[in-house]
Amino acid sequence: MRLAAPSLTRQNLLCAAALGLVALGAPFPALQAVFHAALVLALAPRAGSPLFGALWALAAGWTLEGSLRLYPHLGGTAWADLTLALLAGWMAGRWPLEGLKGWLARLAALSVLHALLVHGAVRVATTAHPWGWGWFWALLSVPAWGWLAWRLLHAGTGPGRR
Amino acid sequence: MVVRTARWGLSRAAWQRLALALLWLGHGTWVLLGPNPARHWMTFLDLLSRPSQAIAARWEGWRAARRDSGRSLAELRTENARLGTELTQLRTEQAQRAPRLAEADEAVRLLGLKQQIPLELKAARVLFATRPATFGSLILDRGRDLGLEPDQGVLVPEGIVGRLWSVGPTQSKVLPADAPNASVAVMLMRSRATGVLQGLGSGRALIRYVSNQEVVQVGEAVLTSGLDRVFPRGLLAGYVAEVAKGDLELRVVVNLSAPLDRLHAVLVLPPQPPLEVQPPFLAPEPKAQPRKRGAP
Repeated sequence: MRLAAPSLTRQNLLCAAALGLVALGAPFPALQAVFHAALVLALAPRAGSPLFGALWALAAGWTLEGSLRLYPHLGGTAWADLTLALLAGWMAGRWPLEGLKGWLARLAALSVLHALLVHGAVRVATTAHPWGWGWFWALLSVPAWGWLAWRLLHAGTGPGRR
Repeated sequence: MVVRTARWGLSRAAWQRLALALLWLGHGTWVLLGPNPARHWMTFLDLLSRPSQAIAARWEGWRAARRDSGRSLAELRTENARLGTELTQLRTEQAQRAPRLAEADEAVRLLGLKQQIPLELKAARVLFATRPATFGSLILDRGRDLGLEPDQGVLVPEGIVGRLWSVGPTQSKVLPADAPNASVAVMLMRSRATGVLQGLGSGRALIRYVSNQEVVQVGEAVLTSGLDRVFPRGLLAGYVAEVAKGDLELRVVVNLSAPLDRLHAVLVLPPQPPLEVQPPFLAPEPKAQPRKRGAP
């Protein structure tokens, strides 16, 4: 059973809200990492066209880097976000979603890959830096924000709602 | 399905893919460039500008050479005159400093001799020399004020000079060893034959009372024997210049080693010095013994 795509307006509104939370969540790094991962991996890849998704992912990366004072501001996060968003969008087209469990498993795998790629890109751009625990909280909370994204994206879009 | 095509025959999806690719590559390049990406451009621009910089440097060097070669003759003459004046001043200063430097060197050598002979030697400066005249002598700047007495030996690092002939309150007169009325008890270094040195003038002297049986070689060193109680044994007097057999004794002519005509400072021996003077005893430093195992 293939799920129908959510509406374009809803997706972009959700992306904008998530981006605002990323910016406002700067004093709480764990929460910010969760919002960031949700925006890049769950919301942006399905924001209408791939170009829109890429722009949302870039915005998420630059917002995160810009909100952290002791973090290198060289675009490593933005590039990693862009890459992961494109990858997630391609995966959504290549292997369409068929249920919540598959969605959560995919998000968990993408979260791990996202953490590795972000820190790798930042290291390439500058040098070694502390990782922090944001990746851990993002991975731990995959069921929560994955379920929420599932509900918000696919609510009222047809027979795929669960 | 209708595919909308834009200019250059590309569809909207193709344009989007192109924009995505450029976005991804641009960001990736930015990340790879790392901090201070301008340095790559500066390096590149520096590489490009090297030929022009080399040409400009050559041009500037050529202009400087042309400017230097174009100096007027008057400037060169002025500079030459200035350099000549400086050279004259420097030569004058050098000539003024030369006597003081020579005196300093002599003082250093006297100090070395003073440390080698373990006697209480007194230093004096030569004020005047009347040696070219008959029975000429040397006038020293110290006399009884320094505790000097007649018949004290006088020497320099090269050898003996003579003895004090008369002592005044502040000056004293030296009878040089080459004066006709001077005599010094000497011995030959190899044969150990003793005799009396009598002056012949002009830095030469004759050894009297050496037997015909002695073998004396030209160039042999002549040392003081200490028997006259003016000089201790072993001070250098001169070197044998001529040896000839006489009726009863050898005629041994000696070139005195001390430069009697070029003396500026001398050392005066104490009166009645001991016959034998040993060099100062220096205790050898104990060698570091390897520590035995178990020793504290």
